[in-house]
Amino acid sequence: MKTVLSSLLILLCGLAWSQDDKQGPQGPTVKMAPAPVITVMQGKATTVPLAFRVASGYHINSNKPKSEFLIPTVLKVEATTDIVIGKTIYPDGQDMSFAFSPDEKLNVYSGDFEINVLVRPLQSVQSGKYVIRGSLKYQACDKSACYPPKQLPLSFEVKISKAPRARGQNPAQSPHAH
Amino acid sequence: MKRNPLILFFIAAVIAAMLFAGTRSVRKNRAAGSPSGQLIGQIAPDFELPSLDGTNLKLSDLRGKAVLLNFWATYCGPCKIEMPWFVELQKQYGPQGFQIVGVAMDDASTEEIAKFVKEMGVNYPILLGKESVGESYGGVGVLPTTFFLDRDGRLMAREFGLQSRSVFVDHIKKAMSQGKAVQAKK
Repeated sequence: MKTVLSSLLILLCGLAWSQDDKQGPQGPTVKMAPAPVITVMQGKATTVPLAFRVASGYHINSNKPKSEFLIPTVLKVEATTDIVIGKTIYPDGQDMSFAFSPDEKLNVYSGDFEINVLVRPLQSVQSGKYVIRGSLKYQACDKSACYPPKQLPLSFEVKISKAPRARGQNPAQSPHAH
Repeated sequence: MKRNPLILFFIAAVIAAMLFAGTRSVRKNRAAGSPSGQLIGQIAPDFELPSLDGTNLKLSDLRGKAVLLNFWATYCGPCKIEMPWFVELQKQYGPQGFQIVGVAMDDASTEEIAKFVKEMGVNYPILLGKESVGESYGGVGVLPTTFFLDRDGRLMAREFGLQSRSVFVDHIKKAMSQGKAVQAKK
């Protein structure tokens, strides 16, 4: 039994060592956390937060990088017929300088960041769950190299609920108003 | 069938050793800046690309010169650091038969690339790169990626990412000292 355990341990060590090197630039640099299903009322605008994580050791440009030559991070959401996609709200980036350019500050996202998307279902939309698709375009670098721009496909769900019926009465005439 | 624990232990040790050796080999190649096994010592894949000045440049037309082939992009900060070094190195070693060639692997327009190059004061040809050219060099998924060719057009080394200036100088000197043209002089 001890020999079997020792063998497994050796094998795991070997695997761990080889995996360590594979986490290179070819792997996904940005991942999106599973978005919670947001309940949205018919005809009402609601913000949907989308959480992203940049892999350790990498950074991506913010939505407003400081140089015209840098590629901004941009979220694109596919238009739907029933749900209006409104403003995309990007977080502020961090001003950071890197060893390859100590005198220059870049505006970047690293670690976790959140982008908010405003969605507004039409009044006529049937209630239920809807999937909205899109993509995040980003361009990553580490301390000594950069990687070509990438598109991260993404999707999130919204649950559309019926708007409460309008009473057709002036609130001032409510029987509860005194 | 009863398994022999020693055999199991031996198999696990061999697999672990193979994984370890494979990984070390990859790291060693990266550290040494050598091209992949298929490219090292081979004649560099030839290509013809348009340059910013409107003419076409064919890599094989540079035979007889040592060549530094630099894949870069305008969005690449580390590439920007190397460029002033390349300008100096072109001035210093150009008269001895050395040529730097930049290949822009960019989504930016030609005008934007030209503006960037002008701002950087680049004194060597900049070509407008194509994905297919990058792929012929094993894929250029990291920028900057720099190849060194001897005077016969043979690939000698490859460097990923920003390197120190002295690394470039070493490769350039080695590239200039190799090739049939050099051997004939001797």
